[in-house]
Amino acid sequence: MSSRLHILLLSVVLLTVNAFALKAQTPQATPPPPANPRTISFPKPADQTLPNGLRVVVVERHESPLVSAQLMIKNGGEVDPTDLAGLADMTANLITKGTQSRGATQIAEEIESLGGTLESGARWDSSYATVSVMSSKIGKALEILADVIRRPTFKPDEVERLRQQNLDNLTLALSEPGSIARFVAARVVFGDSPYGHPIGGTPESLTKITPSDIARLHSRYYRPDNAILVIGGDISAKQAQDLAVRYFGDWQKPSDPLIESTATKQSGASSDGRVVVIDKPDAGQAVVYLARTGIDRKDQDYFRGIVANSVLNGYSGRLNQEIRIKRGLSYGAGSALDARRDVGPFVASAQTKNESGAQVADLLLGELGRLSSSPPVDVELAPRKAVLIGNFSRNLETANGLVSQIASLALYGLSLDEINRYINNVQSIVPADVQQFAGSRLDVKTSNIIIVGNAKAFLPELQKHFSKIDVIPVSQLDLNSASLRKGQAK
Amino acid sequence: MLSKYVLRCVILLLLGSAYVCLAQDRMPQLKFSDRKLDNGLRVLSVADSSSPTVAIQMWYHVGSKDDPPNRSGFAHLFEHIMFKSTKNMKSEMMDRLTEDVGGFNNASTGDDVTIYFEVVPSNYLETLIWAEADRLSGLNIDDANFRSERDVVKEEFRQSVLAPPYGKFAYYMRQKSFTVHPYKRPTIGSIEDLDAASLKDVQDFHSTYYRPDNATLVVVGDFDQKQLDAWVDKYFGPIAKPTTPLPRVNVQEPARKAEQRLTERGANDLPAVGITYLTPKQADADQDALRIADVILSGGESSRLYHSLVYERQLAAEVNSSDETREEVSLFVITAVLSEGKKPEDVERSLLAEIKKLQDAQVSPSELEKAKNQIITDQLLERETSNGKALALGEAAVLLGDPSRVNTDLARLQAVTAADIQRVMKKYFNDNSKLVLYYLPEAKTGKLEHSKVNSKEGK
Repeated sequence: MSSRLHILLLSVVLLTVNAFALKAQTPQATPPPPANPRTISFPKPADQTLPNGLRVVVVERHESPLVSAQLMIKNGGEVDPTDLAGLADMTANLITKGTQSRGATQIAEEIESLGGTLESGARWDSSYATVSVMSSKIGKALEILADVIRRPTFKPDEVERLRQQNLDNLTLALSEPGSIARFVAARVVFGDSPYGHPIGGTPESLTKITPSDIARLHSRYYRPDNAILVIGGDISAKQAQDLAVRYFGDWQKPSDPLIESTATKQSGASSDGRVVVIDKPDAGQAVVYLARTGIDRKDQDYFRGIVANSVLNGYSGRLNQEIRIKRGLSYGAGSALDARRDVGPFVASAQTKNESGAQVADLLLGELGRLSSSPPVDVELAPRKAVLIGNFSRNLETANGLVSQIASLALYGLSLDEINRYINNVQSIVPADVQQFAGSRLDVKTSNIIIVGNAKAFLPELQKHFSKIDVIPVSQLDLNSASLRKGQAK
Repeated sequence: MLSKYVLRCVILLLLGSAYVCLAQDRMPQLKFSDRKLDNGLRVLSVADSSSPTVAIQMWYHVGSKDDPPNRSGFAHLFEHIMFKSTKNMKSEMMDRLTEDVGGFNNASTGDDVTIYFEVVPSNYLETLIWAEADRLSGLNIDDANFRSERDVVKEEFRQSVLAPPYGKFAYYMRQKSFTVHPYKRPTIGSIEDLDAASLKDVQDFHSTYYRPDNATLVVVGDFDQKQLDAWVDKYFGPIAKPTTPLPRVNVQEPARKAEQRLTERGANDLPAVGITYLTPKQADADQDALRIADVILSGGESSRLYHSLVYERQLAAEVNSSDETREEVSLFVITAVLSEGKKPEDVERSLLAEIKKLQDAQVSPSELEKAKNQIITDQLLERETSNGKALALGEAAVLLGDPSRVNTDLARLQAVTAADIQRVMKKYFNDNSKLVLYYLPEAKTGKLEHSKVNSKEGK
């Protein structure tokens, strides 16, 4: 109900830091300082692999009589065939819309009768279906989960219904500078390699996808030796494992060998300092992206990276300080470091009036550079680390959040115990770590700039800063290939 | 662990049909501490160290029903002003104290209460206790803060009532459903009343209602009970209890005696139909059965209204029901947005037919169990987090008048029978106790007369 405007200029340093300055003052006049953060300790998850290759991980947590179970396939949008972008996403969404023994309505009715929810989808590196129910209902819920994963039918009318919905959503997305910039940034960074296309597909690719393409992707990747079942909440490891055996034990592993999903380190990513402008004359605002390669999830610099990103990101992060709070150029600026099986993207972005497009691009690059030239001191770093720790801890309050965290560690082959080390890992990062990460992994010179907006308003200024700018009219934009221009796909 | 089950049931894995243990066996109990300071502040707390976070909520027992006459919107305006500066904090400092340490905060105003809540890593608990005490005792209610937030609220009014296609539909329905009770005044207020307010009005409102003996502090999460008690004493203890009386609304909404029919017009493309009935106060025993009836009518795609009007007959694009409970008298609201080319009369008839079905025949055991499962699962999901537990505890204490109801309400719900549902449907849903509102598009029938409210506000 409340929608307060955030207009105030307050520096993090001032606020959280005077908490550390233990000067003798009246106790009421300044906020009392924080105590030391508490670490957490979760019991070691039970981890076993069934004879058919299905890995089953169980994490017990008995505070609340709820269980969440996620069946994760170790592939997602990155396995879409070149001309069928969006195939993995459609496949994952359609599994809950009909199986050999149940129609879409019946699946919904049965899950609602349990009082539960069933969701499915595809991300980069994985696809999933998740059920959440009271613990007394988990047996039936797992039976339904196994049915939709193992025996979906992909009926043509359901395929058509979803295709139409996706096309409608995409039409909307392609009218908004924000989503255009996001799609273009991925193509600029990843080119024609697996992370380059829109995960939900393009208008052209969605039209091409057939029910048999979907069935083929399903039979190729939805197999027990390419899946992880994570069950978490109010259930014993023994009960959970018995249920996993009952509903997934006879899931046959196909005879043809599985294509292992390992990081290739050959993402085809390019970080060569391109500047790309998508000219959209009717855009009310310009969206500015700085985009480049980041790290993969197993990178030894992972914690340095997420802390460095936190220095830039968030309301009191450096980007928003400089772009919104000091200069009023945007409602909000932020950044994200997305670590995947292969090297994922780092992006920093802000939306601004068309006339300020070039200035905001400069500020994004400037702040990235300042991470190494002027690294944060301890008093700036402490609250940025607290943000990460707080978000992490709150995610673990729910069975669903706990299962998602464990599933992500299992997906990337990391130790499941990392969940207990996260807080210490973040706390141990010092300013020099941030400086080192920014200098070696987020070089400004190899970062790309993408601006979507009314080019007339910012191009002259942009040309003063960059000699080579690739300007593409939005009507000529083609997201199906790295060239980004219609008629130039190879 | 502090939450325990009354009785753990055993799942017999050998039998496919063994998952029959009823949820009533397994409700977690919140072991709460309940204390009152000398200045009247009630403090409820649940220590639970399962996650290193803590939720802090201040429940002020003041809502839009307490808005002064011709000053609707005051309780809500105050919710905004509470984020401005205090003696010791700059404006929006509450945001920085939470968001910058990995937490969040927000507030909400309803008819009966105004709630402020924060969730932070547990090592910041003392900081937030200090901050909540500071804004209770040292809020700066100056002309600048008052004017700037009044403008923000007016903007919110435009965004949430005037701009959305069905914003005025919801606004009218509640306004017209009560005849004398101040629940008829919208929480968001009106532009005229906000414009008419003076700084003195606002200061008076604050001193009347923002006081320790009208507040309940709820803390749930990772803390040590003795330490929490000491911090509460240190920061809240010195705040004085005012000697002025605490006014309470004392108006009875009379029972409806005849059907009311209204037509309003707005910027919507498709017509909508709304029907309301008065139901008893939130703490009333009949509310359990009404809540289940609500889920049977519109909880999910297999619910009666969705299945009949949206899926089978495609009369409506959307349909909803809601048992809107209030402290003194509640409102059961049923709404439908029509499908293209359908008539409001047909939709009204179909909605009423579904009500009649619930009066004529008892719901089946499986349908009853489905609704209970949906409600219980929703509650359990809500109560997984510290913030959700604190909301449930605060609601029981402030709106139901008894914090221990947080531990008994689900058992009450489990005890509801099909006959109970039929009984309450007959008792509260009568042809001469309903209000029916047709909300029609303006463009297609621009010449028809507007109602008083509509023409007063203009477009």
